[in-house]
Amino acid sequence: MTRRSGAFAMATASMLLLSAVPATAQDATAAEGGLPVADCAAPDKAIGVAVFRFDNEYLSLVREAIGAAAAAKGAQVDVVDGQNSQPAQNEQIDLFISKALPAIAVNQVDRELANVTLEKAKAADIPVVFFNKEPLPEVLSTWDKAYYVGAKAEESGAMQGQLVIDYWNAHPEADRNGDGVIQYVMLSGPADHQDAQIRTVESIKAINDAGIQTEQLQREIGDWNRAMAIEQMGAIYAQHGDAIEFVLANNDNMAIGAVEALKANGYFGDSGRFLPVVGVDATEPALESMRAGELLGTVLNDAVNQGQATFNLACVLAGGGTPTAENTGYAIDGQYVWVPYVPVGPDDIQ
Amino acid sequence: MTVTGTTFDDDTRRGWRPGRPSRASLGEWITANVILVVLVGLIVAIAIYDTDFISANSVRNILTNSSTRILVALGAGIVLISRGVDLSGGRMVGLAAVVSASMLQTETYSRQFYPDLPALPLILPIAVAIGITTLLGVVNGLVVARLRVPPFIATLGMMVIAFGMTAIYFDQPPNNSQPISGIREDLSALGTGQLALGPLSIPIIIVIAGTAAVIFWVLLEKTVFGKNVYAIGGNPQAAQVSGVNIVRTLIAVYAIAGACYGLAGVLEAARTGGASSRYGELYELDAIAACVVGGVSTAGGIGRVRGIVAGVLVFAVISYGLTFIGINPFWQQIIKGVIIIGAVAFDMSRARRTR
Repeated sequence: MTRRSGAFAMATASMLLLSAVPATAQDATAAEGGLPVADCAAPDKAIGVAVFRFDNEYLSLVREAIGAAAAAKGAQVDVVDGQNSQPAQNEQIDLFISKALPAIAVNQVDRELANVTLEKAKAADIPVVFFNKEPLPEVLSTWDKAYYVGAKAEESGAMQGQLVIDYWNAHPEADRNGDGVIQYVMLSGPADHQDAQIRTVESIKAINDAGIQTEQLQREIGDWNRAMAIEQMGAIYAQHGDAIEFVLANNDNMAIGAVEALKANGYFGDSGRFLPVVGVDATEPALESMRAGELLGTVLNDAVNQGQATFNLACVLAGGGTPTAENTGYAIDGQYVWVPYVPVGPDDIQ
Repeated sequence: MTVTGTTFDDDTRRGWRPGRPSRASLGEWITANVILVVLVGLIVAIAIYDTDFISANSVRNILTNSSTRILVALGAGIVLISRGVDLSGGRMVGLAAVVSASMLQTETYSRQFYPDLPALPLILPIAVAIGITTLLGVVNGLVVARLRVPPFIATLGMMVIAFGMTAIYFDQPPNNSQPISGIREDLSALGTGQLALGPLSIPIIIVIAGTAAVIFWVLLEKTVFGKNVYAIGGNPQAAQVSGVNIVRTLIAVYAIAGACYGLAGVLEAARTGGASSRYGELYELDAIAACVVGGVSTAGGIGRVRGIVAGVLVFAVISYGLTFIGINPFWQQIIKGVIIIGAVAFDMSRARRTR
């Protein structure tokens, strides 16, 4: 299942990064960012957008991107906050349907319950674009006006693994004990989170597939946040010290937590001591940390293109059309649009 | 406002009372200091598993990890002693973290919360953050004491309100709910800096938490105000009859708690180098757990500052120690739960025996 990132993908990725990162950072409109503009007329009514929770950092970027895409098109969007409650979101979907909106975009609270949303939309013949949280394939396939826009989680793990491989091959001194094996620490997200499981497994699998042996010194389960990661890494470092050759974290918050803990143990900055830490998400704090020479790398989950693709599909569907690569600007794989992750390594940061 | 009578004599504070080994038997001493025994037992057990655990580094890490939690627990503790409960602590930590971090970013950071804000003196944003949470504490106190809303409900409402305020503040353009980072050196120094004391270097954050604990000890256990808090917690009617101004005292209690959460939030931003609206989530429950394990009664009137500090340390030792020796993190949850229930069950059985 793992899609390895070839040279072409890397090149495209770097180009995407150049356009995507400034776009999120500076509120650029869709047109300025060089993003694909949908070939559709702005619908009379707003397109309904249900987000699973407004206080989620990543979804806030997607929300921002959907808003920017709509503004560039002169279309309206009605964006609502599901407050991480599926019952609350169901009521919001009902409201959208009673307003007879031309299309809805849904970031399902509970992906396993997307069938409820789909059946409601189907009964009212309102096209639905799911985004970021993938409905089960057997659910999505029950209606041809339902689509999914998202990323393949295994890609993020594989790309993170590639960052490790690149650094390892270019820096013989990274093998501190000279045994040819990467001794690493893994900071995982919650055990029941799909992305956490996939990233934990796929990153190491990519490294092993490249012919490099690994040894896990310790794995801790965190809650995606910095404070807990600082404390975990503090204890792990106290135990393993300089035996650690790499730190992999399932997201940037935890990666930065590890960096902070290592700073407290005399790494980075003026110390001249470095330990490679990689994350996922490419949040602004992570990019800043990379610029400061601390964090080694991260993987961008491309919120701008996810938001743009979601809007483009919804806009085309609202006008009664069928989404194609031509009218949306994104490759349509059946009922899916896969927005690629983008690796961000030391060379991608100015 | 002197209070006389027997409503708040020393026995009302027996939650975690160091016994006197010289006069009492060892068994009684252990009974009276169960939390200390648990703490030492935990450290010994972890050290037997891995002797490297006993080191200055471990002590420093555990105390550092405890610092913000001690502040939250002191706030939660004073409210519990007054026969209340405060569920809004965690969200106030988040509010103060976001507010202080948003105004203390380096000018070179690429995603500024306030792009045009001039460099402010460090104390100003900190004072604003703590001022806001103190004010919310005053509101808690007014709602509880004046409107007679049960503390559980009043602070549940405030918990939701405080998060709403944080989320609105955090979501405003150009930030749009992105994590705040790039905080200034002078703020992060509070969380990660060291204070040189001769050959020792002590993290500043520990000094701050320690100072707060000492101030609390004086306030609660050495002043008339403190006696009044215990009196209200022990028996509000009797306290009122004895002339305690219940409304004013409770407002002060919740305001002091709010100030603690505010300071904890500022330090949380300082030690993590940033903030987001999710900061402090569920810290109030950790704090309440630490308090009850440290001998604070959820029925009010009982509890001591050193018990609260010991309660926080127990959980910090568990979390650090078990990570240090690489135990499956889910076991930490089970051990924590067992200790919470066990400590209170032990206290209850002891209370029955002494009656």
